[in-house]
Amino acid sequence: MKRIILSLALILSLAAGLRGAEPTSAFVMHFDSDWRVAGGLPQKAMLISLQGLANRGTGQLYIIQPPGYQWEITEPLFEFYQRKHGVKFTELKTADDALTQFKSVPKGYVVWDKKVGPSLNVAFTISGLEDAVVVSEELIPLVQAHGLKQIDDLRGRYTGQTDAQIYQDAVNRYWARCNKDAYMLMGGQRGAVMMPGMADWGVKRKMFFHDLAANPEIPAELALERKLLSQLNPGATAFGWHPYGKDTEEQHTTLLSTYGYKMEGLHNLPNLSFNCWFTFTPGFKFTNNHSVAKDAKLVPQEKVYLSFVQSDGIGIGVWTKPGRGRLPLAWGAIMGWVNFSPAALEYFHESATPKDYFIGGLSGPSYMYPNSIPAARFGPLMKEASDLMAKLDERVFEIMDNTAADGNLGNADLTKETVDRYYANFPDVIGFINGYGPARTRDLRDTRPLISYDYYIDPRRPREEVTADINELIALNPVRPYFLLVHVRESNDVNSLVNVLTQLTGPTEVVPLDVFMKLAASKQTYVTRYQHPDDPKHFKGF
Amino acid sequence: MKPALLKILLGLCLLPLAARASDESLVGRWRLDTARSTALDGWSTADVVIALDGSKVMLRYDMTWHATNVTAANTVDTAAAADIANFFRIDQRHMAVYARPKESAHVTAGWLDGGRTLRIEALVPVETSQGNTTMRLYDEYRLLEGGKELLLIELHSTRERPLVYHFTKVPAEAAKK
Repeated sequence: MKRIILSLALILSLAAGLRGAEPTSAFVMHFDSDWRVAGGLPQKAMLISLQGLANRGTGQLYIIQPPGYQWEITEPLFEFYQRKHGVKFTELKTADDALTQFKSVPKGYVVWDKKVGPSLNVAFTISGLEDAVVVSEELIPLVQAHGLKQIDDLRGRYTGQTDAQIYQDAVNRYWARCNKDAYMLMGGQRGAVMMPGMADWGVKRKMFFHDLAANPEIPAELALERKLLSQLNPGATAFGWHPYGKDTEEQHTTLLSTYGYKMEGLHNLPNLSFNCWFTFTPGFKFTNNHSVAKDAKLVPQEKVYLSFVQSDGIGIGVWTKPGRGRLPLAWGAIMGWVNFSPAALEYFHESATPKDYFIGGLSGPSYMYPNSIPAARFGPLMKEASDLMAKLDERVFEIMDNTAADGNLGNADLTKETVDRYYANFPDVIGFINGYGPARTRDLRDTRPLISYDYYIDPRRPREEVTADINELIALNPVRPYFLLVHVRESNDVNSLVNVLTQLTGPTEVVPLDVFMKLAASKQTYVTRYQHPDDPKHFKGF
Repeated sequence: MKPALLKILLGLCLLPLAARASDESLVGRWRLDTARSTALDGWSTADVVIALDGSKVMLRYDMTWHATNVTAANTVDTAAAADIANFFRIDQRHMAVYARPKESAHVTAGWLDGGRTLRIEALVPVETSQGNTTMRLYDEYRLLEGGKELLLIELHSTRERPLVYHFTKVPAEAAKK
């Protein structure tokens, strides 16, 4: 009997564990838009470090960002947690309130040097390792009033040193104790404004923070980052984003990809330390808005088929703007969120209109450049991506490789070897799309086309020029059907696209992406092409 | 009138318009006024530097896109058609329309409006998703009143709207920097 009771208790506790790990109550704070070092940043940095520590055992603190913040989902997701997960939130209005509420969480504080930006990253590293909140000097009285003791003080330690010297010192002191499955590339804005919105996640998981440049023109920083990368575990993830002004997105993503590591951005993505405590609601299953059966064969007509894709971080931009649902639009969902922000994915699926269609990507289980991925890592990474796609009911996979591009322009093409690998590793997709800006890699094997973007809509481009551009593409590609794949940049609004469509010449039809792929599979009017050795390369690699 | 003199006069009358002297005010560096021009796509700034050498006109384009600097030049001849390799045009870079670098554009040029307008017509080989094709391009570089502004109007055989670019003269001293 005792054994039966014990077993029952075990089963119940396990069952409770599966669901019970989810918080039922939590605290919430509202941030403003001031991220100036000389303004609101120090207090925000302190609160974000506190959030990372407070959310270690369970989700206790959620932060709502104001309208205009790049990630516009914090408010809708806050409502989602209340509505679908029954979380009761209590608002904390001030930093003092937060320190009072979580007084037992930090063991002390670390002081960063406002005159030396990278010292904040070093402080975040210490925060994770030593359970410290990060403070600038004017906040010391506040944390001392809450009984916290100084753990470290970085003021003056790094004065006059280069970023490479600063991070080398941090490596010497802390790297050995840091997480080797992930690190925090806390780049983004530098100087007078910094936005370390993702720091809670790095603090929670004891990551090493840095903003080293992957720029061959800053060899000391590149060499140090290479050293760190060589010591991460296979399959590791770089959270965050590249440092603006020191290197480019292309350089840093290329560097990470050469090690087979994943990139999960951006540096200002908030609340992962909270979001990770939630799973999908009971009974929830991803059901994508497929418009065509997986094995269907469609016959195209003599017309221009257009399809629109938005592949920037789904929480950014267009999703929350008016007009969504008026056009078939494919969305690059962030697949990795299955693992650390599932509620956000459920929120997007729940709020999808019948015209929203989710696709896998980007290039792998998260953002990577496939031309640079080592052959030995390609298979395991794509298996991970393929499994995530199955979970998310996705059938189209999106690829992007800007290793050799000029920003989002120029050479965004895949080598034949890369294309071969994708076809081998994704037998179940109905097709691939490629690019961010335009690209010219195209293929068709069995029933799976690979189509690159023929056009990228810059949100700032006047709509009459967008219309003229698309009409010119239609004129330059005279064979029908013409398959015109369009990438819609994050901050475009859908209503303006609807107006563009009314002014296109010739018989045109906007179709959902899965229909587009099926039509493109039936009649190849596009030229098979891969990256050619003679194609211009903007960045020739490391 | 002597036959020889008659021949000379006749020859002068028949001299193609294209080979007539240009307005020297065209020479120099011109900077795109982005606010007054058709929106650039995939370029941040554009300068065009014009030089004359007899019937030949060299147009050098100094383009930027963030940290990228691109310099390209077309030398057209107002006296004769020419096939120009790597013919440069201010393209809309977010369109999948690519230059074919190993092929040449067939280019004709001439002076209009008493040498104040340079006309260029080019058959430009391009690559699109359906393969190789040709874009017919018609440019007029018009020197405006006062000689301080240059207007480039570009028509494509494949585009419904003209591309209109306003340039202002960069003073010689500033252009040297």
